[in-house]
Amino acid sequence: MAAASSSKPFFGTREENQNQMMQEQSSIATPTSSTAPTTAPQKRKRNHPGTSYPDAEVIALSPKTLMATNRFICEVCNKGFQREQNLQLHRRGHNLPWKLRQKTTKEVKRKVYLCPEPTCVHHDPSKALGDLTGIKKHYSRKHGEKKWKCEKCSKRYAVQSDWKAHSKTCGTREYRCDCGTLFSRRDSFITHRAFCDALAQESARHPTNLSTMGSHHLFGDNHHMSLGLSHVRSQIPPLQDQNQVQPSSNLLRLGSTSGAVKFDHLISPSNHSSLQNMPSSMFFMAEAANQGFHQDHQSHHGHGSYPNKPLHGLMQLPDLQGSTNNSPTSANFFNLGFFSNTSATSSISTSEIGGGQGPALFPSNMGDQVGSGMSSLYTTSMQHENISPHMSATALLQKAAQIGSTTSNNTTSTLLRGLGSSLSGATKSDRPVFSPNFGSNFEGGNGSETLRSHMEDDSNLQGLMNSLAANGNSSIFDGGPSHGQDNNFGGFNGSGLTLESQSSNANFCNVNEAKLHQNLAAGIGGTDKLTLDFLGVGGMVGNISGGFSQREQQGINISSLEPDMKSSAQPNTEHFGRA
Amino acid sequence: MVSMSQNESSSLKSSSSSLQVFSMMSLSPSLGSSYPWLKELKSEERGLYLIHLLLTCANHVATGSLENANIALEQISELASPDGDTMQRIAAYFSEALADRILKTWPGLHKAINSTRVVDLVSEQALVRRLFFEVFPFLKAAFLLVNQAIIEAMEGEKVVHVIDLNAAEPMQWIALIRGLSARPEGPPHLRITGIHVRKEVLDQMGHRLSEEAEKLDIPFQFNPVVGDLEDLDVERLHVKTGEAVAISSVLRLHSLLAYDDEPLRKKLPLALKNSNGIHLQRALQMSQNTLGELLEKDKVNGCSPSPDSASSSPLSSPVSPKVDTFLTALRGLLPKLVVITEQDSNHNGSTLMERLLESLHSYAALFDCLESTVSRASPERLKLEKMLFGNEIKNIISCEGAERKERHEKLEKWIQRLDSAGFCNVPLSYYGMLQAKTLLQGYNCDGYKMKDENGCVMVCWQDRPMFSVSAWRCRNSL
Repeated sequence: MAAASSSKPFFGTREENQNQMMQEQSSIATPTSSTAPTTAPQKRKRNHPGTSYPDAEVIALSPKTLMATNRFICEVCNKGFQREQNLQLHRRGHNLPWKLRQKTTKEVKRKVYLCPEPTCVHHDPSKALGDLTGIKKHYSRKHGEKKWKCEKCSKRYAVQSDWKAHSKTCGTREYRCDCGTLFSRRDSFITHRAFCDALAQESARHPTNLSTMGSHHLFGDNHHMSLGLSHVRSQIPPLQDQNQVQPSSNLLRLGSTSGAVKFDHLISPSNHSSLQNMPSSMFFMAEAANQGFHQDHQSHHGHGSYPNKPLHGLMQLPDLQGSTNNSPTSANFFNLGFFSNTSATSSISTSEIGGGQGPALFPSNMGDQVGSGMSSLYTTSMQHENISPHMSATALLQKAAQIGSTTSNNTTSTLLRGLGSSLSGATKSDRPVFSPNFGSNFEGGNGSETLRSHMEDDSNLQGLMNSLAANGNSSIFDGGPSHGQDNNFGGFNGSGLTLESQSSNANFCNVNEAKLHQNLAAGIGGTDKLTLDFLGVGGMVGNISGGFSQREQQGINISSLEPDMKSSAQPNTEHFGRA
Repeated sequence: MVSMSQNESSSLKSSSSSLQVFSMMSLSPSLGSSYPWLKELKSEERGLYLIHLLLTCANHVATGSLENANIALEQISELASPDGDTMQRIAAYFSEALADRILKTWPGLHKAINSTRVVDLVSEQALVRRLFFEVFPFLKAAFLLVNQAIIEAMEGEKVVHVIDLNAAEPMQWIALIRGLSARPEGPPHLRITGIHVRKEVLDQMGHRLSEEAEKLDIPFQFNPVVGDLEDLDVERLHVKTGEAVAISSVLRLHSLLAYDDEPLRKKLPLALKNSNGIHLQRALQMSQNTLGELLEKDKVNGCSPSPDSASSSPLSSPVSPKVDTFLTALRGLLPKLVVITEQDSNHNGSTLMERLLESLHSYAALFDCLESTVSRASPERLKLEKMLFGNEIKNIISCEGAERKERHEKLEKWIQRLDSAGFCNVPLSYYGMLQAKTLLQGYNCDGYKMKDENGCVMVCWQDRPMFSVSAWRCRNSL
């Protein structure tokens, strides 16, 4: 008995160990209550998984044995039991002979159990677990299937008792974080809260956003200064240019529209509560804009500098909202990505001052910036952007790649690949030179002589490339509407020479393509494909060149195509005929 | 020479090489001294043209053709702008990086131009780091996942030792301390070892964490290790027997790859004479072709290489002694858990062109994130773009050898490395993913997404994975 109780602290105690011991040793029955511990505080100590008992007997059970639920079957009614003791008690009901094991007075040989999963740390005898139930649960939890699913929250458990324990509390208590997230479990909630709080505190501790930024803006590098201003410039011109009569209303409109745009980003449609806040923020916007406008009239320099203020307002709208987030909007706000901090209000005011004082402190500087920032580039480009929606850089890259791939797949693919691979070749013009690879790609093919002689000349290649674009355009012209076309086509039409070279060039391409397709044994209808796909390619090229001035476009095409194409026209046409 | 076209065809499927073709297309007019038409381009056309110019320029930089690079850069400068639309901004930073690279052909010029440049101040770095942390959800999601993984792995452990390989952000550990203090079985004895080059960063962190632990009455100890990860002595981590060790690395491991260049260079027959790496690149490209042939043969035999290995040169992922040694050393500590957060991009290609194409895509995504969440004039945004992304771009594009630290690699590469160092993957906790997902949704921005890839998590912008988080434990048999 003494021995049994001394082993207590090591084992996780409780009934499980009891049973387990009994299970392993057959002796005289003793009521389990007799093992009631006297060393209560020690009892709570958990068994360290890593604690090794050098003298312990290491037991490795197969997964099947571990997972077996009712190993002990009653031969009469086939009822299964998890423990032999329970079966014995059951047998008593059938009036069958039964026998409960009893603790021996002999010292029990300590047993430790290995996890059958070879990759598990507890597979190592030095990290074996001290009790059978423990290893069973461990095995189910860590390596078993989670077949118990909570109907309320869909969380899954491998051990039924875990699931039961969870089911009892799931949904009975709800924990709501300030950020709006709901939790059913307290520990989950606390983990989450820890994170939320830590963020808020850290932000308050190092308020990087506004106050710091404000000062940077003021005293920091001039770079930002000018950036900010150029942005301002870019927004102002439309007002000045177009609506001199009613500038104030326009400013108001500008303020409010941009404000609305911001809100779109910041407020999810589902968050109605935050919308209530909008009017006041908008009001702020409008007022700030108005102020800017008034000051604008008071000083010349003000043009660039004072409107800075409403823009500041724009930027700080999220924080402004944060500062007013007493209760209804707070949830939403926190969600906005931890921008909020407790010092939001104070930081706003700081930067407000920053924004207002900047120009006053550096008036001359501002004037310079305004002057230089007034480039027509900004004015025009921004005006354009007001009309056409902005395309993301990712989308642009995809488009560019698409253009690249359609071009390469559908025209002379090997040719273009050859070009691509010679990137590191020496270059003379701004166009990459395709010389060595290019020529050799065609070796063996008919007419490679002609081709190669062309390729030796740099400008020739340029011509070829241009002709691709030109072809693309022309095929578009048949069916495609694009505003750039007319210019471009006109360019070609304008001179007989170009037209001629264009057509020869077209042959040139077709021939190559057909031949290459033959070589590659790719059964694609060359001409059809060409027309079809050039639609996509040409559309893009057409658009681009539409932006170029007609004069320049013409210039290249003529100069690059003219000299050599005439000489090459003959053999190419022949090939074309064959193809 | 036929092999060359074959080699290219294997990689042509990727959008990157299609982009290369795009750069071949004739979009540019004659080279005049001024470009009045450039200013008339609309946003989309301008964007496409900028891409074209950047690729053209990169080709010239790669071949060392300063004159032509200059022409391209001049045109880019007409269109790019650090405060314009997304593509204008990206182009501004990429052209700066390309210019920096080509300027290294004249080391004197390059050094003189940078002679007064102030080394980044600790406070500035901290500011940018904090901005990155606050503006994007990426780090927050990663921290949630890492902390949850640690809490779950440390369940029942009485002595917990967390090693932070990039100890710059106390927030993560404050959250962990709180999480551990709330666990049902009571808080463990917690020790956090932070590794960082700057003592002041560690001091600050130690102070914050001790404060927090005190408040929650958790037995806590902070163990600062001032120094570079590259020459870290594992002994200094003071891992004691009996404690359960968790190691976290956030955006740090990739810089260990930088040291692996050196032996590779020495092996190459062509000595690298100028810092621009032209010769090296040619040499690499030549050997690439032959290796490409091999890959192509493999493909015929039915064993096709992964798209990634086809697009990046086979030489870009050779044995990496430094990082392997390091990981093996970590394995020697027998950590219960190792959690790795990395940029999930392929910025470690051996050629400039590979890196340019890949980084164009990934930084486009990052800039797009900003575009859709932060106002264009926001000084925070400009700071982030310039001081964080701009510097990274410059490092990826302009630097070579040990200087090139931003060697972000895809998760699959890390999986290989960790696997050969004797680790095996642990699926991240379901609950952690749930939390991270909630966080991303909280941003009210459709673009942020999360993908569960065999227990590893990709935090994405749209469909592009941006950051990967993966958890590991020691494999029993090596």
